[in-house]
Amino acid sequence: MEKPKVAFFDFACCEGCQLQVANIGEGLLDVLGSIDVVEFREVMSEKWDKELDVAIIEGSITNPHAVERIKQIRERAKVLIAYGSCATIGGVNGMKNNFSFDDIRKYVYGDSYQFFPTEITKAVHQAVKVDYFVNGCPIYIPEFITVLKAVLQGIPYDVPDYPVCVECKLNENVCMYDREVTCLGTVTKAGCNSWCINNGNICYGCRGMVSNPNEKGAQDVLTKYKIPMDLVLNKMNMYNKCREIF
Amino acid sequence: MEKMVIKDSSYRIKKAKILHTKKMTENEKFFEIVLKSGESLDHEPGQFVMISLLGIGEIPISVCSSPTRRDSFDICVRAVGKVTTCIHKLEAGDEVGIRGPYGKGFPVSILEGNSLLIIAGGLGIAPLRSLINYVLANRRDFGMVHILLGCKEPKELLFSEELEQWNERTDLYYACTVDRAAPDWAGNVGLITTLIPGVDIEPVRTFAAVVGPPVMYKFVIKELLAKEIPERQILLSFERHMKCGNGKCGRCQIQSLYCCQDGPVFNYEQIKNMSEAF
Amino acid sequence: MYVILGKERFNDFISRLSEMRRLFAPAVLKGYNNFAFEKVTSGKEIAIKYIPTILPPKKFFIPQRETLLEFNIAQGIDAEAVVEYEPMTIFGVHTCDLAGIQCLNMVFSERPKDYNYLTRGSKIVLIGLECNEYCDEYASCNLVNATFPCGGYDLFFTDLGDYFVIHVNTRSGDEIIKEIGSFEKVDTSHINELEKLREKKRKVFGNEVPIEGKHIPELFDRSFGASVWKDLEERCLACGNCTNVCPTCYCFDIRDEVELNLESGIRYRVWYSCQLEPFAKVAGGINFRKERSARQKHRYYRKFRYPVDRFTRFFCTGCGRCTRTCMAGISLKETLNDLIKESES
Repeated sequence: MEKPKVAFFDFACCEGCQLQVANIGEGLLDVLGSIDVVEFREVMSEKWDKELDVAIIEGSITNPHAVERIKQIRERAKVLIAYGSCATIGGVNGMKNNFSFDDIRKYVYGDSYQFFPTEITKAVHQAVKVDYFVNGCPIYIPEFITVLKAVLQGIPYDVPDYPVCVECKLNENVCMYDREVTCLGTVTKAGCNSWCINNGNICYGCRGMVSNPNEKGAQDVLTKYKIPMDLVLNKMNMYNKCREIF
Repeated sequence: MEKMVIKDSSYRIKKAKILHTKKMTENEKFFEIVLKSGESLDHEPGQFVMISLLGIGEIPISVCSSPTRRDSFDICVRAVGKVTTCIHKLEAGDEVGIRGPYGKGFPVSILEGNSLLIIAGGLGIAPLRSLINYVLANRRDFGMVHILLGCKEPKELLFSEELEQWNERTDLYYACTVDRAAPDWAGNVGLITTLIPGVDIEPVRTFAAVVGPPVMYKFVIKELLAKEIPERQILLSFERHMKCGNGKCGRCQIQSLYCCQDGPVFNYEQIKNMSEAF
Repeated sequence: MYVILGKERFNDFISRLSEMRRLFAPAVLKGYNNFAFEKVTSGKEIAIKYIPTILPPKKFFIPQRETLLEFNIAQGIDAEAVVEYEPMTIFGVHTCDLAGIQCLNMVFSERPKDYNYLTRGSKIVLIGLECNEYCDEYASCNLVNATFPCGGYDLFFTDLGDYFVIHVNTRSGDEIIKEIGSFEKVDTSHINELEKLREKKRKVFGNEVPIEGKHIPELFDRSFGASVWKDLEERCLACGNCTNVCPTCYCFDIRDEVELNLESGIRYRVWYSCQLEPFAKVAGGINFRKERSARQKHRYYRKFRYPVDRFTRFFCTGCGRCTRTCMAGISLKETLNDLIKESES
């Protein structure tokens, strides 16, 4: 069987997810044994402008040029994977949506700001159809490999739609709330094996919110722990601003 | 960490081969399967097997052939999820893994000497086909046999060739209805419940066997009780997402009962007070 | 049979024990009032006084993730059912957790037997440890008769000040006593001390909920439609913490995983929770327990009602973990109290 042709593309992002892939280590050989990478800016100079079996997209869609480019990629790719928070949920780029775009452009580009068009930040699926999602900032490599296998098998991958708490408890971490620290694990989609909490950090909500959160219950919890609502909303908006678009 | 093979593990799969397939409708496909060991599946009508596509997953599917046919068995699969969609891609000669049969099916030895009112909605005909073909193979042991069949549209009718044969037989009463007719449909139109009042039965000597979508049960049971069929003689088969089949994983529980071991066939008396059943 | 172990010999005992098999015992998680069963090699690492660990010792009997099947699909299908296990000793198991293991033993030895569980369990030596004091306000072990030991261990330690009195319950327990050999014979004064402690406990470990255990099944028979469950609908975050930490919750999901070559792989099971939304969903999309209230209710019935018919015991061991871990403050004792109040009104 011929190996599928796979290209990695980036949009507005820090390219950290590409770095994660490049840093897989020993497992990378297995990955390269199963796919044929034809474009991957961070590790090779070749380009590919023909048909693709799989396009792997990092970054969010933030300007008219990006919209055109992602549409073209979608047209020539049989399967499209969005990976990383920027691509899957808009991520930190979504914070732009809090401000007036002219103010933002002036701040960044100064007097020549008019030459740099911008528009509302979108996740990739808010611009084109996405077949697979690998959430997280950065992506969690074991999940990336799981998704890659699903693509090769031609079966869907469902991002777990229950909170990070589930995996965190299985890892027997001390709950952040017991340490009197606010953590977004209660409303954030699992699938990362509570990576951050395992390493002593809180959950920042980088994987997006579960689809049916108990908002009333979550507010009661904040009240119980005397945590101000706007503090949590600010934390939430760091990654999740784009969920307001639809 | 040490590791050993468990020969009698309840998760061990039997190798099986697909002998024959047939696309039945847009969403349903039929498979005839044989165990590679040559042994018989040895199931009861109404029981289910776990079908494995190794690397993809495992799902519960009811057996739709009669146990009187011992050399192979049939299943009818509706493509609704990951595993079923992949099963649809299989053809004759492909291999699958089998566990089971599991659960309590229709108690055929108890049904003997009684009349039967068999009511199938949609895909519910699959497990009931196993019962019907068993009864037809042992026709002398039973009283009157009524088969009532319902589905949404004529194009969704399963086992259409067999339905015609049943329709022509003089030793059973067969009626079929669809919720929405097609232009070439000359039969009944309406919900399956409309067929029940017209059936002539002696209730104390009749067992009803009902399988259909969850929404159907409440209405059908009401009609059967109106016909004065005793609660214990109303047999219902429930659909739940069994994962282990061994009464352990908890996924198929209906209150205190495990659908995979205590069911999937229950009598109405057993479950009438269980709101989670309906 | 009882024996005595002087406290001065405890560290030596633990070191020797850890040389026999891998040894797990409750250890404090730095700086917080949280404990976990962890691998230890010396007595100093062990928290002799501890409240129930984050996860109960069920994690050794049904690991969070466990291989059931290994397969190869390169040519046709080839699969073998396997069990992964590790001989070990668990020291310091409280009576609530011993009761939890007894519940799991019942479930997994019911036919069809689960040989993964049974094989692994048969390699585990269990050493119990008595709670001299009530752990905290969340516990309700007395309500469910789990305050005092009743089998389920090889050795059982009770701390009586300068020494432990140890009940030897099984031959493997006896072998440990013989092999380590730092024990003394028991005399009547020791047994009297033990009785005195238990007498004191009987007074302190009072009834936590105003209902006798034998009336709980009737309470639940009356409560299926109670409004108490609706209240939980608004509070529960459906995070599954309560079931993951429960010593008797054992529900699981089964999944497949292939290697990148798509030729070989494993089928494994992972802990899963009736509190998570997809738990009771069938392929067609219908969810038989869509509401959080229905899922919470199911959890309570699986502790206090359903197992009574099947196993003649409660599947709550009174450890209090579900209450301690619940972010939303859903309290087992409070729910029982509310059910009693509602059924009386």
